[in-house]
Amino acid sequence: MAIKIELPSVAAGMEEATLVRWVKAEGDKVSKGETLAEMETDKAVMEMEAEADGVLGRILVPGGTEGVAVGTVIGVLLEPGEDESALASFQAPSAPTADASPAALEPETFPETRAAAKLTPQHSHGERILASPLAKRLAADYGVDLHSVQGSGPRGRIVRVDVERVREIAPAPAPAPSASAAAAPVTKPAAAPAIVEGTRVQRIPNSGMRKTIARRLAESKQQVPHFYLTVDVQVDELLALRSRLNAKGSKAEPKYRLSVNDIIVYAAACALRRVPEVNSSWSDEAILRYLDVDVCVAVATEGGLVTPVIHEADRKGLAEISGEIRELARKAHDGKLAPADYQGGGFTISNLGMYGVREFAAIVNPPQAAILAVGAVEKRPVVRDDQLAVGSLMTLTLSADHRVVDGAVGARFLAELKALLEDPLELLV
Amino acid sequence: MPRSSKLSSAAPWRELVTTDKDWRAADPGLLRSTLVDLHLIRAFEEKVLELAGQGLVHGPAHSSIGQEGGAVGSALPLRAADQINGSHRAHHQFLAKCLHHVSPEGMDPAKAVTAPVQELLQRTLAEIMGLSQGYCRGRGGSMHLRWGEAGVLGTNAIVGGGVPMAAGAAWAHRRAGKGDVAITYFGDGAVNIGSVLETMNLAAAWKLPLCFFIENNRYAVSTVVDEATAEPRLSARGQAFNVPSWKVDGMDPLAVYLATQEALEIMRSGGGPTIIEADVYRFFHQNGPLPGSAFGYRTKDEENEWRARDPLDRVGSEMLKRKLIDEAGIKSLRDQAQAAMEAAADELLDKSGAKLAVRADLWPSPDFRDAHIRGDLSELDGVRYVEQEQFTGKLEERKFVDTVADVMHRRMSKDERIVVMGEDVHRLKGGTNGATRGLSQDFPGRCLGTPISENAFAGLGGGIAMDGRYRPVVEFMYPDFMWVAADQVFNQIAKARHMFGGDSAMPLVLRTKVAMGTGYGSQHSMDPAGIFATSPGWRIVAASNPYDYVGLMNSALQCEDPVLVIEHTDLYNTKFPAPVDDLDYYIPLGKAKVVRPGKDVTVLTYLSMVQPSVEAAERLGVDAEVIDLRSLDRAGLDWETIGTSIRKTNNVLVVEQGSVGTAYGVLLGDEIQRRFLDYLDQPVQRVTGGEASPSISKVLERAACAGPEEIEDGLRLVMAQQGRPLA
Repeated sequence: MAIKIELPSVAAGMEEATLVRWVKAEGDKVSKGETLAEMETDKAVMEMEAEADGVLGRILVPGGTEGVAVGTVIGVLLEPGEDESALASFQAPSAPTADASPAALEPETFPETRAAAKLTPQHSHGERILASPLAKRLAADYGVDLHSVQGSGPRGRIVRVDVERVREIAPAPAPAPSASAAAAPVTKPAAAPAIVEGTRVQRIPNSGMRKTIARRLAESKQQVPHFYLTVDVQVDELLALRSRLNAKGSKAEPKYRLSVNDIIVYAAACALRRVPEVNSSWSDEAILRYLDVDVCVAVATEGGLVTPVIHEADRKGLAEISGEIRELARKAHDGKLAPADYQGGGFTISNLGMYGVREFAAIVNPPQAAILAVGAVEKRPVVRDDQLAVGSLMTLTLSADHRVVDGAVGARFLAELKALLEDPLELLV
Repeated sequence: MPRSSKLSSAAPWRELVTTDKDWRAADPGLLRSTLVDLHLIRAFEEKVLELAGQGLVHGPAHSSIGQEGGAVGSALPLRAADQINGSHRAHHQFLAKCLHHVSPEGMDPAKAVTAPVQELLQRTLAEIMGLSQGYCRGRGGSMHLRWGEAGVLGTNAIVGGGVPMAAGAAWAHRRAGKGDVAITYFGDGAVNIGSVLETMNLAAAWKLPLCFFIENNRYAVSTVVDEATAEPRLSARGQAFNVPSWKVDGMDPLAVYLATQEALEIMRSGGGPTIIEADVYRFFHQNGPLPGSAFGYRTKDEENEWRARDPLDRVGSEMLKRKLIDEAGIKSLRDQAQAAMEAAADELLDKSGAKLAVRADLWPSPDFRDAHIRGDLSELDGVRYVEQEQFTGKLEERKFVDTVADVMHRRMSKDERIVVMGEDVHRLKGGTNGATRGLSQDFPGRCLGTPISENAFAGLGGGIAMDGRYRPVVEFMYPDFMWVAADQVFNQIAKARHMFGGDSAMPLVLRTKVAMGTGYGSQHSMDPAGIFATSPGWRIVAASNPYDYVGLMNSALQCEDPVLVIEHTDLYNTKFPAPVDDLDYYIPLGKAKVVRPGKDVTVLTYLSMVQPSVEAAERLGVDAEVIDLRSLDRAGLDWETIGTSIRKTNNVLVVEQGSVGTAYGVLLGDEIQRRFLDYLDQPVQRVTGGEASPSISKVLERAACAGPEEIEDGLRLVMAQQGRPLA
């Protein structure tokens, strides 16, 4: 009995592969375990071995064919003693490609649709999905990929309850407040977002930087037990001080012009010195407390987020810090940061205030244990001496790794920082 | 050997032939008017044929050339308030009646075409050409001509179809008691059809002032009258129904006039209907400008013999004899008539191109298509709508059928116009079910037991409704009888308002009861809702309880459109809280009611299936939203209520009792999938009876109808298909 040689699935979810070349030719004798051909998936090149002894009777899919679907009969192995008449019923598949790539100029179908199909054994790709009109609409509204839904209606039709069940298990991610900005909530779940097949999308290939951001932040959000503390800070005095300093700075040599963020960096560095538990990293064996206060500053660039570091920020003057940040930001935008510019750091500050963001919670930048999210300075009603007044406030949110930083510790850090910012004379001490 | 004695019909039947003496005695004014009418009609018909030959008349042009004598001779003795209708070949009848209307003082051959006459000719031609200035705004055309003001009720393209309607007009005349009459014209081809014979019988039984005017032109298209009947003297039909009858030579307009005068005398004095058979001849084929001989069913010789007896020549020569006109006068009349038609056609035609065309600006606008299918319900403005939840009157437990009788009694006592008719409605303590209890005793002459002839009495009801002075309530003992009366129900009553241009109302209420469950079998067990809903024009209501019935019946009786009121024998003897001291509130036409709020499935149902649907949902613990549709016609579906529910439940189950073939849910399913597709979690599901009509056998009847078990099955299905199967 002739044995069909089928393209094997060598990885979970694998759908297709390129048949690179046949190692054996038609008529060659092969032994069980001998390499028949080579195939290449998106991950690796692998050898296909003979399942039994025999003769390679016929090659149905030639070497070099791309996109051969898993399960396609690519050749026939004759068992010892069988003659070629056993091959009569085998024909080359008319269309060996499982899923031809769309023409480059056409708007592409979102590639994750295919990836999603791999996760779900219920519906093979290309098969019509039976879903009620309501279920289709709800799936689109919820961002649920119908490929991932098991239908409970007649003939397996997906109905409303099925979509809602899937949605409850995996709630759709909330959209990120600012996709382009700092180490803020960049949400990139491991599972691909569901995009309905046929949706018009533009394909933006992921840069190495983008991939790194995605991987590291996903890991952080998944592995680091985040908690969040938020505090409002009155910055009227800080603003006044800044004005006075900047008035001098325009005449100084070299000139300087402090931003609120520059002062926050310095204040945070001082607070870290006072509450060193926050300036730490987790390891399985020990908590690693940094002896220097190196503060990273999140900078949004076209390619993504970078976090250059101000070393020993607590020992630098405000003008120096300001100048360093300015220089690092310029280098970041020009893509010219040297590894020394961004390696290290025990704490990160992300500021979205310039976008008018009132407050947000950032994702901890591993291996650091905490990140400070800085919102916009706003005029807000404040109570002073039991009187309602207008004050300049901003909201700070500390995201911390609870393995390292307990709630009270984080709170103490924020209290120190708040005190420094509300009464900036403290910074001089 | 048995003895036999000769019997004879009670009805007088005679042939009337004019003598020279009659012609000498005839009023000169009458003869002048007769001659003018004949010439105008002739010229009109010649112009129609000419335009038809040029492709400017869409559809058939049934020429009356040769037959003018019957129409003119019978129209001239009529009064303004008398009415006529006719058949597909009726231009001459329409014009004769309308000429008499616009020139009541008579016509002058020297000045035949006055301004009103010219306008009449033009607008009639426009109607025949389908133009918006026509009397029916171009909707009626050649075969459906109506000018109510002139006493033309509407001509009819269904052979014999207009006859019952004319009986309705005659009924209204008799009831009004002013001596006015109706003439219904039809041909030899129509004399053997049921609606005509049924109406002859009904009109005679009820002594209606209706003249059955038979234009015997000897040919039903190409079928000769001798082939179609063993009694080709068609006025003999009167012998069967005790209707006084005349046979006259229709080529002799004076003979027709004199016979009509005699008939009118009988009809105006309460003697009931009459028949006049006028022997006439159409010089051309059924339609178009070719003679019949061209089609081989008759000879040229025969045509020439009849042409020699042309009524225009007959009247002209008699008037020449009496020196009432000279040759030049006749020539002048002919010229005037032809010139008038030239002028009329000129107003309608665009001669600027190489080919004659209809003036483009005269066509009706295409968006006029569906206008006036039904009225705008403004007649219900300001009425007191009260739902049961807001009702402050007294409610007592009563049988449904008693409330049916109560509300009609109440309305008849407040509205003199209402008249009830149907089989046995006047006896048996209110018909076979008691639904008309007490009406015949308390309202003599207004609760009429009819002969078993649904086509005739349904059409008669339609004629009364169209007349407008009275409000008929017709009962079909069983809904299946609608097929017997189908022409009147669907072709006449339903279409009249739209077909005649939109100005005529049709305030008729048709009551019937669904009798599934009574063992009456295949021919008495349908639910008519599905069929009526296919018929634009009809409004349909179905009450599931007596409270709604009162309000819906009050709205139906107020409505200017035909309304089918569906009742159910299962409900008749069921007791409900029913209003007793206030039967004057209304329920809107076009308003459904949520009788059980819920969120799992929208159950759309009506009539006897409402309560069982609620109960089935309760038994199964399904949180169904049960909607009593109440109004079922296309215009009456309450999409707001239905849509709100479907958006909430996303699942629909239509529940009805009857056979799937004639079922109502088809319409709902179609509309719902197009309106609410994106809200549906499964197809629109339906509970219906089987394919066959229910049988007599009790077991088979139960199996053929949907009941509580089938509703439960439907609810289970609709839950299972939304992935929530019931345990």
